[in-house]
Amino acid sequence: MELLKLNNVTKYFGDYKATNNVSFSIKKGQICGLIGPNGAGKTTIIRQITNIYMPDEGEIILFGEPIKPVHQNRIAYLPEERGLYKKIKVIDMLVYFGKLKGLSSKDSFDKSMNWLRKLNADDWVNKKVQDLSKGMSQKIQFIGTILHDPEFLILDEPFSGFDPVNAEILKDIILELKQQGKTIILSTHVMSQVEKLCDDIILINKGQVILEGSLVEIKQSFGRNNLLFEFEGNINNIDIPVGLEIITNSQNRYEFKVLDKNAPNELIQNSVGKININKFVLDLPSIDEIFIETVGRSNLDEDTILEIRKN
Amino acid sequence: MSSSNKIFTIISHEYTSKIKSKGFIIGTFLAPIAIALILAVTVVFSILQKDSTTLKLAILDNTEFIGEQLVAKDTSKYFLTELNQVDLTDQLNNEEIDGFAILTKSILDDGKVIVYTKGGGGIGYTEALENNLGKIIRNERLKKFNASDSLIHALQAGVHLSTKKVTETGEIEKDSTAQLTYIGYGLGFVMYMLMFIYGSMISRSVVEEKSNRIVEILASSAKPFDILLGKVLAIGGLGLTQILTWMILIGGMLLFAGQIIGLFIDPDTLQAGSMGMSADAATQAKVNEIMSDFPDISFGLIAGFIFYFLSGYFIYSTLFAALGSAVDNDQDAAQLQTPVTLFIVVPILMIQFVMANPDAWWVVAASHFPLFSPILMVVRIAATNVPAWEIILSVIVSISSFFMALWVSAKIYRIGILMTGKKPKFKDIIKWLRQG
Repeated sequence: MELLKLNNVTKYFGDYKATNNVSFSIKKGQICGLIGPNGAGKTTIIRQITNIYMPDEGEIILFGEPIKPVHQNRIAYLPEERGLYKKIKVIDMLVYFGKLKGLSSKDSFDKSMNWLRKLNADDWVNKKVQDLSKGMSQKIQFIGTILHDPEFLILDEPFSGFDPVNAEILKDIILELKQQGKTIILSTHVMSQVEKLCDDIILINKGQVILEGSLVEIKQSFGRNNLLFEFEGNINNIDIPVGLEIITNSQNRYEFKVLDKNAPNELIQNSVGKININKFVLDLPSIDEIFIETVGRSNLDEDTILEIRKN
Repeated sequence: MSSSNKIFTIISHEYTSKIKSKGFIIGTFLAPIAIALILAVTVVFSILQKDSTTLKLAILDNTEFIGEQLVAKDTSKYFLTELNQVDLTDQLNNEEIDGFAILTKSILDDGKVIVYTKGGGGIGYTEALENNLGKIIRNERLKKFNASDSLIHALQAGVHLSTKKVTETGEIEKDSTAQLTYIGYGLGFVMYMLMFIYGSMISRSVVEEKSNRIVEILASSAKPFDILLGKVLAIGGLGLTQILTWMILIGGMLLFAGQIIGLFIDPDTLQAGSMGMSADAATQAKVNEIMSDFPDISFGLIAGFIFYFLSGYFIYSTLFAALGSAVDNDQDAAQLQTPVTLFIVVPILMIQFVMANPDAWWVVAASHFPLFSPILMVVRIAATNVPAWEIILSVIVSISSFFMALWVSAKIYRIGILMTGKKPKFKDIIKWLRQG
C-alpha cells in the first residue's frame, strides 16, 4: 500500500524550478533513501511533504488523501540543520515539541520521560539545553522528533553528530520503528547507511527524479557486477578470462567488471594449483558507484543539451 | 488538534519561558523602584535645600539695626557679637565659632558683606545669608526713600497665576493642565521605550529561532501564521503584565508617598509657631500641599495608555517580527528594521509641539496616523480633552492597521523564516510581498 504519492509536483523559486515535475511513491512500512547531490532539491521536496511549502503544480497524496496541515501531527521531521532552544530545560523543550504535535501536556511529559530513559538520558531532564554536549543534544533532538509516535518519519542525516556507539543505538531504533510498521524517508549522503537500512531509493538531481526503485533491483538492473580478487602468487601464471575487465589492479589485488556470468567460475578454475586465492568477492555495484554514475550522466545530459542549444 | 490549540501552545510556551527571564523580572520590579528612588531623592533634596547649612555665623554689626533683624530671621544660623574682628579671628582659629560676617555702615549703599570662615562647609550658608540679608536690605533701602509699609508690601507681592477648569456641567474644578501635559510627555516617552523594548524582544526571539534552526521544526508542526500570531500575543501579554505591575507598584508607592515625604520635612522650617499650628499639623499641611500639586490621573488616561500600548505594540511587533525573519542575526535585523524604527522616533521629535498645542489641526492629523498614534494620542489624551469621535476613529484605525500589519507580516514571515544565504534587502522583502 502506498503511504505517500507525489504526482508531477513542481515548485518554483522565482523562475527556478526547485522541484521539477517530480513523481514517486513510497510504500507503507518501508525505509526509503532519498539521495542526491547538494542542492538537488531534496529539502524542498521534504518541505512540501511536511506542509512547510505548498507545491505550485501537481499533488501530494499522504495517508490516502491530499496533503493538509493536520497531517503534520502524524509526521516526524528531523531536519538536517538541528535546532534546539538553548536556555530552557531539556524536559520543558521536549514537552513543548510534543504539544506542538498535538499531545496533551501529560502525554508529552510521560513520553519524553520514557524516551529519555530508553536512551539512558534521564539524568539530563532538568539540565539546560545549552549545557549539553553535541552528542547529547542530538539525542534530545531525536527524541523531540519522534515523541508523538508518528506513522511517517522523515530523517535528514539522522546519524550526523553521533559517535559509532550511539549511531548503532540509533540504527537499532530506526529498525525497531520500521518493525512497528512505520514508514521512513532517510535522506543522507552516507551511502553505507543507505545500503544497510533502505529498501527503496529515490535519487534526485537538479530537482528531478533520475532513479527510483528497490535497492536490490536497481543494483541488479545496473547489470554490472564487480569481482574483488586477492591472491598470493604470480598472476602471469594464469589466463584471465575474457569476460573480466580490469577496473583496478595492484600486485596481489584485482578488481574486475564482470562482463560474462561464467567468467568468475573460469577464473577460479584457472587459478587452481597456480596461485592461492585469499579473497574472492562477487558483488553488486555499490550504491556509491550508482550514485556517481547516474548523477554524472544526468549532469552530462544536461550539459550536452545546453551545448546543443547554444549551437 | 485545531489550529487555535496550537496557537495557545505557542503562546503559553513563549510567555512562560520569557517571564522567568532575569531581564524581565529586573525590568518589572526594579525599574519602578529605581524611578521612585530618583524622584524621592530629588524631592527630599529640594525640601532640604532651604535648610541647607549647619554653620552658625557670628554677626559683627556696625550698622546697629540690620544685625538684629537678621538674627530674628533665623536664630539657629546667626547670633550678634560684641567682639572685634581680631578677637573673632582668634575664636575662629580656635574653632569656637564656625565663622563671622561683618556688616559695614555702607551696606545700604554698596550691599557688600564679607564672610570669614575656615573654608569648606558647602555653599548653603552663602545662599541662605544672601537670601535673608537681601530682603532686609531691600526693605531698609525703601524706607530710606520714605516708602510706606503698604508700598513695601505691594512691591514684595509677586504674580500668582492659577488656572481652573470648567467642566461641561459648569462646575469649576482644579486645573492640572500643566502637570498633566508633563505626565503626557513622560507617558509618551515611556511608550517610545516600550515600543523599542518589545519590538526588539520579538525580533530577537524570531532571529533566535531562525539562527538556531528551530523554525524548521516549528514550521513542520504549525502554520507560520500561527507561530507569528502566537509569538506576538505572548510577548504582548508579557508587556501587559509588566505595565500592570508597574501601575500597581506606582499606585502603591503614591499611596505611601505622603508619609514618606513627611519624614523628610523638618517642622521647624515651616514656621509652625507663627501660624498657630502644631508641628505635626504643619507637616501634614505641607505634605498635602505637595500632594495636591500631583494631578488626578483619570481612568481614561490609564485605559488610553494600555490601549495604545497594545495597538502600537501589535502593529510594530508584527513588522519587527517579519523583518527579523528575513535575516539570521540581531545586527542585520536592526539594520533592516531602520525604516520602521523611524516611525517610532518621529513622534518623539514632535512631542514638544504637541505639548504646546495639542489641538492644532496638524497635531490632530498626525496623531491619527496609526504608526504615530501610540505616542501622540497618549500625550494628547493627557494634555487636552480629546473628543469622543476622535477616540472612536483612532481605535478603529489602530485596530484595522494591526490586522493589515499582521497580514503583511505573515506573508513576509512565511518566506523569511526559511530563507537562507544572501542577506535580503528591504526591496527584496517588498518583492516577497508581491510573490506571496
